Amino acid sequence: MRVASKRPRSQSHYRRATPPLLSIAGWVTTLVFAAPFVYLAWETTRLGNFFDVLGRSDVTGPLLRSLALASATSALATFIGGWLAWLIVRTDLPGRRIFGVAVALPLVIPSYVAAASLRAAFGPGSLIGWVPRPSGFLGALLVLTAVTYPYVYLPVAARLRTMPASLEDAARSLGDTGMAVVRRVVIPQARTALVGGSLIVALYTMSDFGAVSLLRYDTMTRAIFASRLAAPETALALGLTLSLVALAVASVTRKTSQTPGTAPNAAHMRVYSVGKYRNWLIAAVLALVTLALVAPIGVFVVWWLRGGQGVVDSFAALRDPAVHSALAGLTAGGAAMILLLPAAYLVARRTSRTAAAVDLMVAATFALPGLVLALAVVYWVLRTPGPIAGLYQSFPLLIIAYLVHFGVQSHRSTTAAVQAIPPQYGEAARMLGSGPIRRFITVDVPLISPGVIAGGGLVMLSTMKELPATLLLAPLGFDTLATRVWGAAADGFLADTGIASLALVAISALLTWILVLRPAQLVAPLQSASRPAE
Amino acid sequence: MRRVVAFVAAAVLVASACGANDSSLVVYSGRSENLVGPIFESFTEETGIEVEVRYSPSEDLALLIQQEGDQSPADVFISQSPGAIGLLAGQGLLAELGDDTLGLVPTEYRSAGGLWVGLSGRIRVLVYNADLVSTADLPNSIFELTDSVYAARVALAPANGSFQDFVTGLRELHGDDSALDWLEGMERNQAATYANNSSIVQAVARGEIDMGLVNHYYNLRALAENPSLPSKNHFFDDAGSLVIITAAGILSTSQAREDATRLIEYLLDADAQEFFSTETFEYPLASGSTPAAALSSLASLESATYNFDDLSGGLARSRELIDASGLEAP
Repeated sequence: MRVASKRPRSQSHYRRATPPLLSIAGWVTTLVFAAPFVYLAWETTRLGNFFDVLGRSDVTGPLLRSLALASATSALATFIGGWLAWLIVRTDLPGRRIFGVAVALPLVIPSYVAAASLRAAFGPGSLIGWVPRPSGFLGALLVLTAVTYPYVYLPVAARLRTMPASLEDAARSLGDTGMAVVRRVVIPQARTALVGGSLIVALYTMSDFGAVSLLRYDTMTRAIFASRLAAPETALALGLTLSLVALAVASVTRKTSQTPGTAPNAAHMRVYSVGKYRNWLIAAVLALVTLALVAPIGVFVVWWLRGGQGVVDSFAALRDPAVHSALAGLTAGGAAMILLLPAAYLVARRTSRTAAAVDLMVAATFALPGLVLALAVVYWVLRTPGPIAGLYQSFPLLIIAYLVHFGVQSHRSTTAAVQAIPPQYGEAARMLGSGPIRRFITVDVPLISPGVIAGGGLVMLSTMKELPATLLLAPLGFDTLATRVWGAAADGFLADTGIASLALVAISALLTWILVLRPAQLVAPLQSASRPAE
Repeated sequence: MRRVVAFVAAAVLVASACGANDSSLVVYSGRSENLVGPIFESFTEETGIEVEVRYSPSEDLALLIQQEGDQSPADVFISQSPGAIGLLAGQGLLAELGDDTLGLVPTEYRSAGGLWVGLSGRIRVLVYNADLVSTADLPNSIFELTDSVYAARVALAPANGSFQDFVTGLRELHGDDSALDWLEGMERNQAATYANNSSIVQAVARGEIDMGLVNHYYNLRALAENPSLPSKNHFFDDAGSLVIITAAGILSTSQAREDATRLIEYLLDADAQEFFSTETFEYPLASGSTPAAALSSLASLESATYNFDDLSGGLARSRELIDASGLEAP
């Protein structure tokens, strides 16, 4: 078996015309995801001259700061998330089953809550006085990395899970050891997942308002937020600028692609021994978990206890919001797994214009602040005659909004999984007379499941912490744990903020374990390690 | 995959089961649930009128109502700031309130056009850390804060609605030039910009910065949860201690104006006004209501004299001045 086979597009299988249904699904997806941009472009033009508005406001500084923070956070989160995935899926690191859940969880802490709690945890006058208080660029980098590296960790872990040992064995038989195997085999095989994750982190950072404002780092979102009511033409022009930048960032990452997979075989997945680095690695993972998870949770507990409220009463009041959060997260995650499959197939297997369009549009909506996205949804839904307008502020529409906002998280992970399907499998099944649906179910589904589930899990977790769109688009009375956290934090009810945040983390942990980590088998088996890597 | 499909189906069923009730009142509330929820509950108990509430930041709700236009499902809008509700009033999105309703509030705390009434007031104050600032150092006038004594010691939240409303009040009382001078003076004096009132109070309480400009009740709430904090409120003698009102109005598209009026009158009723005073530490604005003992009298403040209609109308100009001052660039 060759270690690096030819790229998929040179093979006859992929040169067949795109099936019409797949094409249509691709265009529908593209149109839906493009809607927020059309709204932004249209409203910007209506309210004033885009370039005049940009010329009047000091846009360069905030734009450069947004870009600097996005690239730095993306790089650091990719580094941390990538190595973590390797450690937890492919090594015999002690405690990896618990770590495997713990390191995924910071994703559910809304970034503004993470920023507020870490500022309350560290710094003179805080709980831990000798650590400098997070602030400015470095503070924003730290906090945003802590809440975004799971966007890399989960898809890469899913990819490593299905990567066959045979490639690594081949490299080793050719004399490569340890790091060389990682560099020459593992990273190229996981590239789509790595790049997809890093893109998501970059876009998330660009869209974030809560953390950067609390950490006092002045980016584009601050400018949009400050002018949103007083000078809507400025806010819209800045929003449009942000989305154009997001499109550019997304198109840069489109150039990457990975070699197609070869026969995966989980039973023979190679597990490495961490050997002499064991204690250092445990310390590093513990440090990360402390910063990203234990510190915020500790602060939530302190806030809660200081408020002196009854335990039972507090949690009873959160029952409905907890059910709503879980319902919204599960539905959005599940819907993303199914509805974005066609787009993933298009992008993974075709080079058509539809494929390029859908890939870009799906990515770029994630960089929009939630408020802008929500207003775009309102704009389109209320302007569409017939039954669509009846969906306004209904649960299905809320789910669609989540899908449009977070779709890229599922899309990139699923695309990576589809790309990794060894082409020989489909060909073999075809020769044996299987129809496309049967081939999909018997060949593709088992192979792509870990990646699809990881992607759906990301959408689920993002949905559970989403705030601005939920506030404006949820059905009346549909309060979630995230809206509870906001309602309490906005007016300085720290005890309530603490309890609701704890509930959010607890429920997310449970769902992540049951629905993502366990079925996707994203932790290494307990069997003893095969030969050490070095 | 089968599990997922089953789940989505179940979720859609549940969601469609909890459809909206047509006979109820829809409120868009910029006041958070902690600050107003209990009043809605007792209103429903007493009148039998269901209240469905969307809680969000006032500015976001104002944008939503603008976007919804004549299709807005909302009957009542409750705003945390005069800026947001004034904007809607200026765009003809609010209905005129009846004289009976308007009569419940002194003229200075309601819109001249009769489009909204004030519910409660917050005072702009200087919150300071008593361990770091001696009372002798506290300024009497907001204009003293541009002195070098206060260099790099004062926190502001320029992106926040309350601060923008305060700037509008400053313009109203002292003119645009003075307001811009003051903003630029604060920028030269290295005032630190923060996200919002809450984060300033927390920063002052832990000694991260000496003092900050906020609404008065954030510190009272922080002290209620943790009485050992060294943060204290200081009132200015001038425009520094403006009253920022919270207000309510009825949307011109509302089909339930009668019920909506009852709700607004209920919010101005003695019980609700006492809730604002004792539970949320605000100034009750209905005629005849008195603030809790812990709060100083409103009449002693210069702020009670300006025109809230102008305050709300001038939001865009205030934003321009804040932008021009360079206060927000780090």
